[in-house]
Amino acid sequence: MESLAADPRCRCETLGVSAEAAAILLAYAMRESEAPAVELGNALERLGQGLKPSEGGPAPALLTADLAACVRALQFHDRLMQQLAVIRNLFTRLADHPLPQMAGFGAQRWEELLAQLRERLAADTHDELFELLVRTGGVGIQGAAGAAHAEGSAELF
Amino acid sequence: MARILAVDDSPSMRQLVKLALSNGGHEVDVATDGVEALSVAGKQQFDVVITDVNMPNMDGISLVRELRRLTNYRFVPLLMLTTESTAERKQQGKEAGATGWLVKPFDPDRLLSIVSKVLT
Repeated sequence: MESLAADPRCRCETLGVSAEAAAILLAYAMRESEAPAVELGNALERLGQGLKPSEGGPAPALLTADLAACVRALQFHDRLMQQLAVIRNLFTRLADHPLPQMAGFGAQRWEELLAQLRERLAADTHDELFELLVRTGGVGIQGAAGAAHAEGSAELF
Repeated sequence: MARILAVDDSPSMRQLVKLALSNGGHEVDVATDGVEALSVAGKQQFDVVITDVNMPNMDGISLVRELRRLTNYRFVPLLMLTTESTAERKQQGKEAGATGWLVKPFDPDRLLSIVSKVLT
């Protein structure tokens, strides 16, 4: 008797279910992390209120600097959420892809699918993340360094 | 002190932008996407609008384009605050009428100095 796991159609169904499960788990984890991040933001806001100078005196410089550091650091939660959202969307796309088209597709079909997914990526950092996910070593050090260099930059037109 | 509208679909980013600007003495209102921002901006006048790019319902670039159509926002500084940093997207923002393009993560002091700069 032929093993079910060896059946390409069965493998595709397993892949689809796994991708869907991964997307749901990611969405759940992202939702769960939102409340603590907001709570932390609220706490920082209260700290900021407490730091406002009273009677014209200056706010304690060290605490003001620490608060600024917290504001900078907490932004990486937002960055992480954006990257996880991209991965979740990729999984969703993978799960939604019609199985007959997935079954037994070759290199050319795979490239077509990757091209479709790339078109949906909004940012260059998402594109790099995507390359990291689908191709080992697909992101050049130069590209990653370029994206990091742009972080925190400001340009007035 | 300026009246600033901060637009971002991320609750934590809205909080952080509001916190940074409030600590600088500004009065900050927030909106969750372009549609809400356009509605809020239609009801009250802001001195500066700071918006994310990728948002549901209406993105930041469309918001800037729509705001520039309003007579009372024709010369108001509109800043994009986003993780995106490609030249192509910046050009889109510029063509839509954005005043500047800031890449996240932002530094609170830097954000305040940029706001001061565009207000002068």
